[in-house]
Amino acid sequence: MDEREQSGKSRPMVGPLEGIPLPDLERLPDYERGFWDASRNGELRIQRCLACGMLRHLPTPMCPHCHSLKYEWSEVSGMGVVYSFIIVRNPVHAAIREKEQIPYNICLIELEEQQCLRICSNVINIAPEDIQINMPVKATFMPAVDEPAVVLPMFIPDLKA
Amino acid sequence: MSSVNINGIKDKAAIVGIGETEFSWDSGRSEIQLACEAIKAACDDAGISPHQIDGLVRYEMDTNHETLLVQTLGIPNLRHWESVSYGGGAGNAVVGHAAAAISAGFCNYVVCFRAANLRSQLRLGQARNPERIAGGAQAFAAPWGNMAPVHHFGMFVRRYMHMYGATSQHFGWVAVTLREHASRNPRALRRTPITLDDHQNSRMVADPLHLLDICQENDGAAAIIMTSTDRAKDLRHADTPILVEAAAQGSGPQNDGIIYRPDLAMAESVNTAQDLWARAKLGPSDIDALMFYDHFTPFCLLNLEAYGFLPFGEAKDFVDGGQNIRFDGTLPINTHGGNHSEAYIHGLTHVQEAVRLIRGTSSSQPPKKSINRVLSCSSVAQLSAAVVIRRG
Repeated sequence: MDEREQSGKSRPMVGPLEGIPLPDLERLPDYERGFWDASRNGELRIQRCLACGMLRHLPTPMCPHCHSLKYEWSEVSGMGVVYSFIIVRNPVHAAIREKEQIPYNICLIELEEQQCLRICSNVINIAPEDIQINMPVKATFMPAVDEPAVVLPMFIPDLKA
Repeated sequence: MSSVNINGIKDKAAIVGIGETEFSWDSGRSEIQLACEAIKAACDDAGISPHQIDGLVRYEMDTNHETLLVQTLGIPNLRHWESVSYGGGAGNAVVGHAAAAISAGFCNYVVCFRAANLRSQLRLGQARNPERIAGGAQAFAAPWGNMAPVHHFGMFVRRYMHMYGATSQHFGWVAVTLREHASRNPRALRRTPITLDDHQNSRMVADPLHLLDICQENDGAAAIIMTSTDRAKDLRHADTPILVEAAAQGSGPQNDGIIYRPDLAMAESVNTAQDLWARAKLGPSDIDALMFYDHFTPFCLLNLEAYGFLPFGEAKDFVDGGQNIRFDGTLPINTHGGNHSEAYIHGLTHVQEAVRLIRGTSSSQPPKKSINRVLSCSSVAQLSAAVVIRRG
């Protein structure tokens, strides 16, 4: 648990957590499916209102800005910055505890396409101690450990930014 | 004047009784029994029989439904009932709703209560997601391990620290002060004083939140009895009328999923605060003590700012060292020890403590000043509620 490597830092996450809740692809509402369908194709797509053009996440059946019901799943670059984050060091779920998956990070990523457009994810390949607010990151896609049909957008530090 | 600023409940309802069970980690009894014990204690304090109750304001989350209470307490005719959604977010809202029902003449004696085995049964601090999620905010959070309140609220705290330079030590001073208050309170579950070092050395749960930033989970129940201000004159505490002066609730924008709000460094209670002050025709300088819903210690800082007691970013200096917010300080916060150290009953104990402060019966009664008006408020980041109660 919380293994420190020689650097004195905790080990990085390398992929999705195991054994935790996942979306049930069979039961999702119609206005959410596009996110998961795109992710399975290695794309990050966000709902965009066809009337006013605003991107929105969480997905909703109606545009909260102009109230249009028409939307598309708009591909975004997957580039963004860390808006806020936490490092979980105490498990609140049995699978986290049993499989010794702490520490892990939860990051709120602000996507570059629109102010305040944020999605929740993990940043992999970086020690938790090195994660910082405003750090540039880019999306990558990895299947969930327990259900490969569910592909999760994950983020990696964007060293070129 | 906007109609939301017409204070239709002003001074029309009074809090006339408070009661609670003991607080524990395992009550060993049913939630309906806890509810009835707390309600009976509150009725005794008010000097009424449970048979006189004809109004009920529940927490939607509470398992004790109207018919079960009517049956168990022997209420002959329940004239009005309602429930307020969420847990802590309902904490002060129930008082506003009860005051509105009384002002409208719907009922004479209203009980607001919360009864739950939140440690020995349903633990809200644990992940409660189903194994497979049928969509919604959970489906966009849990797959990445974002599963519990401490995760959602930690996002606010990190952002707040980033924006304003607040540190874990500042939150620690809140923890130390709340524990000191609890150490003087015989009802409190955690009474052993702590130091700032104890806080800093406590287990990191969700960095930046230490264990000693997080409210406890426990079993227990609390209840308050409210009636009209006129009727209160015939009851046990007639010599200290405690009136509901104003109340407000607020939610939004972008609150589903908690963490998608535009500015996580600011409590959503900024809207509620504006409404409350406009409605009450009061401001921070009129308030003698504060009851803040302390699910996580940093939210005491966020609310000091949201309610205008301090400019944004300055609460950290105000709480530093703890002197200002102690019971004998300039602006006492949670003189009972709060969720943090007394008990976690979804904010109803905060209202009870406000009553005690005005009665002069708190275990940490401020020595140098008379407490005439208290703000009690809950901010759980997707919704908030507040009530101002005062000596009549």
